[in-house]
Amino acid sequence: MRWLCFTVGALLSVSTTPAAVGGFELLGTVHAGGRPKAHAVVWLDVANGAGLRPLRQPKKVVLDQRTSTFFPRVLAVQVGTTVDLPNNDRVFHNVFSFHDGKKFDLGLYPVGTVKQVTFDHPGLSRIFCNIHPNMAAYVMAVETPYFSVSDAQGQFTIASVLPGSYTYHAWRSGGADLTGSVVLEAGKPLDIRWP
Amino acid sequence: MKRIAIALFVTSVLHASVAYGQPVAVELSQTGGYSTEQVAAVATQLRAFGELAPQRLRFNVEVAWAVRSADDSDVFGAAYPYDGGLQVIEAYGERTFLPGRALFGIKAGRYRTPFGISSASDHAYNGFMRAPLIRYDGYYALSNNFLEQGVDVIVGSPRLSFEASVGVPGDVGHAKRRSGLDTVLRGQAAFGPIIVGVSHIDTRPYQPATFARGHAVFTGIDVRWMRDGVQARGEWIAGRPFDGTTTTGGYADLIVHRPGMGPVSAVLRAEQLSYEAPAPFALTAQRYTAGARIRVIDRLSAEIALVHHTHQLPQRRPTALDVGLTYSLRRD
Repeated sequence: MRWLCFTVGALLSVSTTPAAVGGFELLGTVHAGGRPKAHAVVWLDVANGAGLRPLRQPKKVVLDQRTSTFFPRVLAVQVGTTVDLPNNDRVFHNVFSFHDGKKFDLGLYPVGTVKQVTFDHPGLSRIFCNIHPNMAAYVMAVETPYFSVSDAQGQFTIASVLPGSYTYHAWRSGGADLTGSVVLEAGKPLDIRWP
Repeated sequence: MKRIAIALFVTSVLHASVAYGQPVAVELSQTGGYSTEQVAAVATQLRAFGELAPQRLRFNVEVAWAVRSADDSDVFGAAYPYDGGLQVIEAYGERTFLPGRALFGIKAGRYRTPFGISSASDHAYNGFMRAPLIRYDGYYALSNNFLEQGVDVIVGSPRLSFEASVGVPGDVGHAKRRSGLDTVLRGQAAFGPIIVGVSHIDTRPYQPATFARGHAVFTGIDVRWMRDGVQARGEWIAGRPFDGTTTTGGYADLIVHRPGMGPVSAVLRAEQLSYEAPAPFALTAQRYTAGARIRVIDRLSAEIALVHHTHQLPQRRPTALDVGLTYSLRRD
């Protein structure tokens, strides 16, 4: 019985954990104007869909509201992901997105309240608060599990990438969208550069 | 206090991206403006804020430097003074608890007087470039430059809360209250898209003690309603700036940002102020504002407002066009 449980558990584990996908960890850097660029979104399209990982819903994706600011300022998600938008401020917020991407208006809600939005179409959504005009964030929804947001040093990591040919895309606030083709393999970094 | 706040601010800037991996950010806003009252202004605002682990202590430090070409108008006086010096506006730490359905929060340090609609982003460069008459330094009411140095406690639930602040004045700008114990009490309730608040302040007058005796005491009601990109809000206050005088007044704002308006938010304001005092010091005024805030590009916004006032305000012209540009940067 113990062996049966172990075997079933192992099989379930193999069928659900990302580690089963294998691949390597792609490291990369983003530069703009010769300097490392934070908050850039980088994602990979897989040629012919080969080796594409299935939609993997993370446990929780959060776009927080605190100190009258969105954290993080730039969020990348896979299409179909539901994002929590909690109000962790003592003041009310009214989160909305009118212009591109996902359009919604969550209305006024107080501290301790969590509202959710499912980003069910690819593209960029600009998120604002109607009460506090300085609050702004971006949510980029992409149709691939291979995506990342660069950190303060302009570095990013994309896990479980299989070797092969990809089309890469990169977006940053205030910059033109970049796209190109690349052959990726373990140990070969991907450098993204805006002029 | 100022040195401590600046030291905290510099430390925050230097460690903005490494403080325990928690979200700590620094914002820089550069603003320039011109009014047909022949007043030009420029301002820089720096804000460092975030949360320190593991205590989850949230902090906010805001400093501002601003100067304007003339002081005989209230244009651009929405959120901080234009004294030409570096001013610590806010410097506080706060912690909020949400046990079950309850709310408990405590804030200590230097913070804006929590009377009515009082946060900076409610008044600064959101299309309005002047503080409401009841919130400008010189009109015998309150001021957006009133700051408390003390402790603020909020209890209740997210939709029904009571707030009490006890401290001493730490004001910036021309209207600096005399030293003494301040108390501010506030209750707030939310019903669907409507938020209603009642505030009461007992403080010291900012006018000279030679003629302004007693306490400054005001009570106010504020209402905010928001739905589908349309926000209506307003405040009404009544009280005495010092013994033997009374001030009543308020404003009503309409702020509209509907999907079809793209990057433009339209703003409208109607307001009134009545200061009753022995002649010739009494003051009565109405003012009307129509304006817009336009998000030009992601970091750059423009504000434009047409302002008309009546009666006795010490402005250069009864009608003025104010324009402003704000460029903002943020580093996490």
